[in-house]
Amino acid sequence: MSPDLVKPEVLVIDDEMQIRRLLRFTLEDAGYVVREAETGHSGLVAIAHQPPDAIILDLGLPDMPGIDVLKRLREWSPLPVLILSVFGQEGSKVAGLDAGADDYLTKPFGGAELLARLRSLLRRAKPAEPASTVRFGAVEVDLVRRRVTKDGRNVKLTAKEYALLRLLVAERDKVLTHRQILQELWGSKLAGQTHYLRVFMMRLRRKLEDEPDAPRYFQTESGIGYRLVSDAS
Amino acid sequence: MPRGLSPFREYLEVLGVIAAVTIAGWFAPVRYYHAFGHVYLLAVIVLCLRVGRWPVLVAAIVSGLAWNYVIMPPRLSFSVLDFEDGMILGTYFVVALIAGQLTARIRAQERYERRREQRATALFDLTRALTGERTLDEAVAAALRQADKLFSAQTALLLAGEQGTLQLHNASSFHLSEVERRVAEWSGRSGLIAGRFTKVSPDAEALHLPMLRAGSVLGVLVLSLPADAALTTPEQRELFEAFAAQIALLIEREQLRAASEREKLLAESDRLHRTLLDSVSHELKTPLAVLRSAAENLNKTEGARRVDLAGEILTATGRLDRVVANLLNQTRLESGAIKPQLDWCDARDLISAARRGLGEALAGRQVRIDIPADMPLFMADAPLMEQVITNLLHNAARYTPAGSPLLVTAGVDERNWRVFLAIADSGPGIPPTMKGQLFQKFRRGNETQGSGLGLGLSIVRGLMLAQGGDVMADNLPGKGARFTVYLPHTLHSSVPHE
Repeated sequence: MSPDLVKPEVLVIDDEMQIRRLLRFTLEDAGYVVREAETGHSGLVAIAHQPPDAIILDLGLPDMPGIDVLKRLREWSPLPVLILSVFGQEGSKVAGLDAGADDYLTKPFGGAELLARLRSLLRRAKPAEPASTVRFGAVEVDLVRRRVTKDGRNVKLTAKEYALLRLLVAERDKVLTHRQILQELWGSKLAGQTHYLRVFMMRLRRKLEDEPDAPRYFQTESGIGYRLVSDAS
Repeated sequence: MPRGLSPFREYLEVLGVIAAVTIAGWFAPVRYYHAFGHVYLLAVIVLCLRVGRWPVLVAAIVSGLAWNYVIMPPRLSFSVLDFEDGMILGTYFVVALIAGQLTARIRAQERYERRREQRATALFDLTRALTGERTLDEAVAAALRQADKLFSAQTALLLAGEQGTLQLHNASSFHLSEVERRVAEWSGRSGLIAGRFTKVSPDAEALHLPMLRAGSVLGVLVLSLPADAALTTPEQRELFEAFAAQIALLIEREQLRAASEREKLLAESDRLHRTLLDSVSHELKTPLAVLRSAAENLNKTEGARRVDLAGEILTATGRLDRVVANLLNQTRLESGAIKPQLDWCDARDLISAARRGLGEALAGRQVRIDIPADMPLFMADAPLMEQVITNLLHNAARYTPAGSPLLVTAGVDERNWRVFLAIADSGPGIPPTMKGQLFQKFRRGNETQGSGLGLGLSIVRGLMLAQGGDVMADNLPGKGARFTVYLPHTLHSSVPHE
């Protein structure tokens, strides 16, 4: 965080005191202002009262399901939301993402991972100016001229491959669910046809990854969707 | 020996034989009348072999009279017996009586043997039919059909339930009316035979035999014999009772088997519980101890050692995370809480996701991936498959020397219409003693190596079965172990290029 900027504010909605305390620890160290809420209701009230820059929402709250908090929030606010869930709740993660959450983390997670997700969340929430070219690794995508190069060499993509790439680039570092991608590229009539997606993703990887079998950028989130990791180190 | 002559025919035969001898004697010279006395005696003895006790006696009397009246001079009149003739006549009766008795006894014996043989055959057939069947239901059905055939009857079997209620077995061919049902229930309660041919409710349609084993009633066998059937002999009744006893034995055997099965299960679950407690407490407490002492030391330490301690904490949490995930998975599998969400999966996708999740565990290893370019997508639950591959890779990393390479392959098994995904290592292979229990829970590859819950492969198997697949393990000659998971090969509609 650059010191000249106003410190971004994060609201943590979690009923576990220890988790809140450690999140505060991690986030304040990274230059965020942290507010806390213990329940879904108090969280919603806090957001309405003074909207934060981002929200970290636990899916398992004592008073109401986290997913309901999210749905009610989305009725009136597009604020970026990162949901926290525990192992084995793939279904609720997908439901959360489809209900409008921007990303998810599975407990236990690392601090670095949390900060990276939060950074990309905030970056998207405040788009400086729409970048005309996006770079990841040796790949450069020129969104204006619809040109994709790898190591400076032109890569030929079909229209659908390019549409998929453009969607991933526009939402880079954010997880996109299968349903979201399918809806965007093929419309609602192909909502269940994930094999389309797999096939096109395989083609993109072959064309753009150094090692298609161990992709660095086009990452699979098993059972959830895909994520384009632009700052893979 | 011929059998089954009716009494009337026996008398007819007696009279016929004596008439024949008498006619022969009539035409013989009178002076041979003595010899004809012996011929009559011979005829009586021969008749003994063929007819019963009373016909033989009749034969003796009639032949004595015929001899005196017809053959002995003066013919066609009764003559006064002299001493010799009297002796012959006396001998007749004595011989006829003794021979008749003997014959009767032999015949009774023979009849008895025949019935015993019949009964033995029936029971043998029953036993053979019963042992051939695998389940109690099949065996009971076989027994009832056997009874139907043997007694030309309709049968029903009522089995004693939990609270002493009688439940009609659905292999029964006889439908019990309300009345019959009450008779059967009385028989079951009292443990006494009831119904038709008995003193209790003799006007009932069927015969009700309680099946007793060691004083308790296991059920009631109901036999509905044809309307004209007569239950005259005790042997017949014994046969019914033997039949009922045989079925009772069968039910008891089945109940004992179920009980011992339960016992075995209990013992096994007891062993599992102890192992579970031992290894879970070990697996949970070790990283907890590390966390605690590392946290305590963080306060006191400065510089590079703090970094080391932080690393220890991370390793310990990773281990805890894995143990908890495995325990949760195993529990979810056992409680049937895992409902696979099948969707199209790409083998490369799954493998790369699993490798990413494993992180440090595969450090320093060469993982070669060999998947044909035309490898099709297949239906599976991606997170579950990721767990499967993670467990297999973790297992391979754990039981093979550090730095030894791993090979991941995938393809289509055309012949069995399934896809496979195999992970081969170059370690020591699976020890032959482990082969049978590889996928059982709480079995570790190296029992002396004191870590791990032994759940990894059991979870792999559970997850694969839940998705309609399977897992197999073998040793590659001279190379190492190979674990192969299989899934059904499903075709999807083609994907348009655009």
